[in-house]
Amino acid sequence: MPPKGSEGPQPESTSSAGPNAVHDFFTVPAPIKRLFDRFPLTTYPPNDLPQRSPSRRQDNQLYVFSDAKSARHGRPSFNPQCLKWQAYLKFVGIDFEVTPSNNHASPTGALPFLLPALPAGAPGPIPSHKLQKWAIEQVHCEEEQQLNLRFEVYASLLDHRLRNAWLYMLYLDSENFEAVARRLYVIPATTNTIVRLALGIQLQQAARDELLKTSKYIDAADLEGDAKSAFEALSALLGEDEHFFGRSKPGLFDASVFAYTHLILDESMGWKQNRLTQLLRENPNLVQHRDRLLQFF
Amino acid sequence: MVLQLHVWGPAFALPSIDAQCLSAIAYCSIALPKDAWELIASSDPSVSPTGELPALQNGSTWVSRFRNIVDYLRQYSDGAWDLDRQLDESDRADNTAFASFVESRGQSLIDLSLYVTSHNYYNNTSPAYGNLLQWPNQWILPPKLHGAAKARTDHLGLSSLDLQAIEEHRQRDHSAAVAAGKIPKNLIQRPRETVSGLLGRGSSKNQFRMEALTADFFEPLEAMLGQKAYLLTLKEEDVPSSLDCIALGSLSLALVPELAFPWLRDAMRAKAPLLSAYTERLRRRCFGDSPVEVAHAYSPQSAPASPLPWRAPGRISIAAVGSTLLAELADSTPFLSEIRRNNRLKQAAADSDLTSVEKGAVSMFADSSKKDMYVSIAAAVGGVAALVGYMFHVGLISVASQEQEFEEEEEEGIPDFGNLSAGDILGL
Repeated sequence: MPPKGSEGPQPESTSSAGPNAVHDFFTVPAPIKRLFDRFPLTTYPPNDLPQRSPSRRQDNQLYVFSDAKSARHGRPSFNPQCLKWQAYLKFVGIDFEVTPSNNHASPTGALPFLLPALPAGAPGPIPSHKLQKWAIEQVHCEEEQQLNLRFEVYASLLDHRLRNAWLYMLYLDSENFEAVARRLYVIPATTNTIVRLALGIQLQQAARDELLKTSKYIDAADLEGDAKSAFEALSALLGEDEHFFGRSKPGLFDASVFAYTHLILDESMGWKQNRLTQLLRENPNLVQHRDRLLQFF
Repeated sequence: MVLQLHVWGPAFALPSIDAQCLSAIAYCSIALPKDAWELIASSDPSVSPTGELPALQNGSTWVSRFRNIVDYLRQYSDGAWDLDRQLDESDRADNTAFASFVESRGQSLIDLSLYVTSHNYYNNTSPAYGNLLQWPNQWILPPKLHGAAKARTDHLGLSSLDLQAIEEHRQRDHSAAVAAGKIPKNLIQRPRETVSGLLGRGSSKNQFRMEALTADFFEPLEAMLGQKAYLLTLKEEDVPSSLDCIALGSLSLALVPELAFPWLRDAMRAKAPLLSAYTERLRRRCFGDSPVEVAHAYSPQSAPASPLPWRAPGRISIAAVGSTLLAELADSTPFLSEIRRNNRLKQAAADSDLTSVEKGAVSMFADSSKKDMYVSIAAAVGGVAALVGYMFHVGLISVASQEQEFEEEEEEGIPDFGNLSAGDILGL
């Protein structure tokens, strides 16, 4: 407490020098402040819809990872999740158009999603986990999970063992990553080299994190062994039948299997290292199953 | 040479706290003669060079993970210790598919029940680890496992079981209400939150989701089991398969533990009575009739006769404690942890039986990330230097003038009490 009196002002001025300097230090320097005072420089009006956006939405639009040329011809998507639903909708006989897109376009952040044709009280975009329900409402197909208790059990082979092997092969095998994943996912996303680099690293890191969730370290031989046993189990489940679970028409499970087997066998993917093909070819009935279903496209 | 199976130690009256370890114990106790193996509750993943438990040690050979252990035992015994040898092709397919199903779905449910559900974690799981582990691991490992379990179950969207996360959210709301002046501060009762209360009140959506999750897991298994003795084989006198061992690992952790909030056990008993009876039966067969206690693992002579050939783990040495502490410290220091990680990677590349190309790729990766690290160190140092320079420039730090200021303050900052009256000091 500074004493009152004639000497009062002097000590006050010295003790306030410290805080003032600290205060000055934390204020924004003048040139930077002047720069930021000018933001926003201009505010643009909202963008028009892109030219290629459909003006008359007569068809259902399925947004998938694809390129413009394959999308026009309705060729299979190169992403297993997207291909699964693309194939399923084809199998149950729903007409749709494929639109190339990426996951920033999706309301849920994940592809695929479907924009239903306009009339019929369309409810807006349908994310992938509601697609089956929507399809059942549209064409009254069966909900296959209910018909066979093995559906969910064998689906876990696809969702875990095959998916992990796929993640490893596509993202973590560096040759494949350069030749396939970078070409399909990174390069179309942007022309900026730095962003491409960052995006590539992010993709690989995401795949690595996903694999490390369930185990302490990533063992490629283990993942291949798992994929091999998964193929063998699926092959035994299919047996001599045309489609899984002895159905006369292909369904959701066939679509899920096809999504992986097609992409693994597809030569236009340009795999550099493809152990999964060798493992898959040991089960000829799965290869035939894929060839049969490819007729739909 | 006696095979030694290293596992996480006993908890909840079961011989291990981890589902995969329970599966491995069950497999060994069925497949191996009792004098061919020993069970060691080492409870420390660092005993094995693979860094994982369960791990099977045969002399200098270490094998970890359930499936690898099963494969190794089959090769080691020329097929004699193979529980799956009588299965035909379709059974084999079912074996693989159900194993994958139980591992993925079962593990998530166990994670939710033992780790994510805060009541169970703080009242049961965490104390169980406390009994099991030695200092300093009891402070280091459980939070790691807790975090890993949360990460694994993130996608299920059931964070409402995690009271910690909810508490933070609630406190925000609470202080907002106080700030808005709606409620006088000292009148607010802080209700004791319970998971069941939360589930009952706000989030029927979560209850539906939990119902669906447990039903998805138990119903296919219940249907598969039916009236059979085991999941794949018909008769009681048949041997269980490796699938039964995997199932026992998850199911016994769902059924047996006495938890503060036993939603998983309740769901299992309600949805799958046959499966519950089967789990109880198989558990008796594999782990013995009496409940397993932690003391049995550490002093085997005190244990009652059981099918488990316990062997006391070696006491942890001072050196091991020191190295654990150092490693932990180094791993949580920013730059040091990266250096260590790169070294480990290079080491792993050199040791493993990869092809030379892969080895080259891995060590190249390690080198490049080392370079990255040096770049980031340089950036950090440069940044600090720039900051200090700026501080000099502004005049916050100045070597000479600071000393002067101190002197001035000493002279004039302290009032001279001798010349002042009491009234002056009190400002009257």
